[in-house]
Amino acid sequence: MDYPLTVDIAFLLLAILAVVSGWRVFCTDSMVRASFFLLLSFIAVGVIMILLAAEYLGVAMLFMMAVEMMVMATFMVMFMMNPAGLNPMMMVHQHKFSIAAGVVIFVLLAGVALLAEFPTNPLPADLDPVTSLGNELLGDSMLIFESAGIVLLTTMIGVVVLSSHRGRYGGAHEGSMPPGLVPGGDPAGMPKEDEEEGGGHHHCH
Amino acid sequence: MIVSELLLPVFVVLATLAVGAYLVGVIDGAIGAALGAPRGQSAWLAPLTQGAWLLTQQANTTEAPDWRAWRLAPALYLALAATGLAVVPWSPTLIPTDLTTSVVLWGSVEALATVVIFLHGWSANTLLALIGAYRYVALGLSYILISMFVLIGVALPAESLQFSQVVASQAEMWNVIRQPLGLPLFLIVGLGMTFWGPFNLADSRDLAGGTASAVSGPPRLVWNLARAAMLVAFSCVAASAFLGGWLGPWLPGPLWMVIKMLVVLAVLLLIGRLVPRVQPERCVTLMWVVLLPLSFIDLIWAGMEALL
Repeated sequence: MDYPLTVDIAFLLLAILAVVSGWRVFCTDSMVRASFFLLLSFIAVGVIMILLAAEYLGVAMLFMMAVEMMVMATFMVMFMMNPAGLNPMMMVHQHKFSIAAGVVIFVLLAGVALLAEFPTNPLPADLDPVTSLGNELLGDSMLIFESAGIVLLTTMIGVVVLSSHRGRYGGAHEGSMPPGLVPGGDPAGMPKEDEEEGGGHHHCH
Repeated sequence: MIVSELLLPVFVVLATLAVGAYLVGVIDGAIGAALGAPRGQSAWLAPLTQGAWLLTQQANTTEAPDWRAWRLAPALYLALAATGLAVVPWSPTLIPTDLTTSVVLWGSVEALATVVIFLHGWSANTLLALIGAYRYVALGLSYILISMFVLIGVALPAESLQFSQVVASQAEMWNVIRQPLGLPLFLIVGLGMTFWGPFNLADSRDLAGGTASAVSGPPRLVWNLARAAMLVAFSCVAASAFLGGWLGPWLPGPLWMVIKMLVVLAVLLLIGRLVPRVQPERCVTLMWVVLLPLSFIDLIWAGMEALL
């Protein structure tokens, strides 16, 4: 293969960035940070795809993941008990199961990388990846891709409808009440207003 | 080879970034003075004085910010502006990066800008900055969608996702005439994405400066510089996508490109000075109910023309 040494260096740096930022996703204590570390990891993978001459897929990865992670962070903050996403919280659950699943998947993928026979036939010089990808997406495979897209969209809308029925602090139709700081205590951050109308302004004069 | 493939592109991008951002300050000051804003010193010196003043100021701190993200966000926004400028063709041969998917890369710059602007407001850990950040996220999605449809419209006659091909396809007729809705929509997106003038909702006065409300000193200088640079990148992209880029009689290509870029920039800055700020709620309605359908019409128009 004839490509400059800088491609190798760029690949190594990007691969390290992808792995390290992917690992940081599980070490951080904030949903917003976790989303953006994941975004960083995906960006590194996207640039690696550009290095592999998948120019459309690599660049598409950048904008898809940017919007996706932004929307994901916003939705997580909306639906979870951490309004700004800056408060520390435990981000990992089910340790034993996830460690086992991670090890199994790593072994499987590493096995594929080491044992599989990758094709060595070089690409034709006049191949235009963007055009061939477009022909594939909107040609023979159009039905598959379009139905998958519509199924995903309906799933997303359905999930939002189902989960937004329940507000952050209980049923949405009952009105939002934050839980107490001690079990069974008064709602946090909402001082009792036992005086009649006037509320907080009552004490001013 | 190293000079033409590495040093020249980097020089072109950095020079456009620095000179362009300075010119934004100069033109904006000149327009302001012409419209009767209080005149301090000459428009040529004012941006430099303000930059030097910010550089000597102390950088503010807030209670428990996310330091790395807070300091990184202005630099990342500047880097995105540089990425955008890197795909702008100045002549058939002078293109910093002639990626075959440069139009899509510009789309991802717009998408990543949403993340960076959000990060800038979020990481300060102050109320008004956070409101500005969420406000931009709510609006940013509609900016990206409008820009995407408009840019697909210019890619259709070129049959390519490459800016140099988009410019070359305008040899007979510029896209601003061929697709009359495209340029106005794209300019609105540009003002929105740099939150400038009527669409300055992320860093607006009603939020005491929004995402930048708690930023001072050198980070503030980088943030202001990045916004100006992003406006320049937008003008360059608009000039390539709609005004025929380097195409034009008598003068050399890069010079035409500079002239067109400055015209777009001046129009954007004039709008920024003349039109009052839109209310955020109305802006969301305007984007989704009026401008997004208009961008559909623009795309259908472009598609029909490409078919005929």
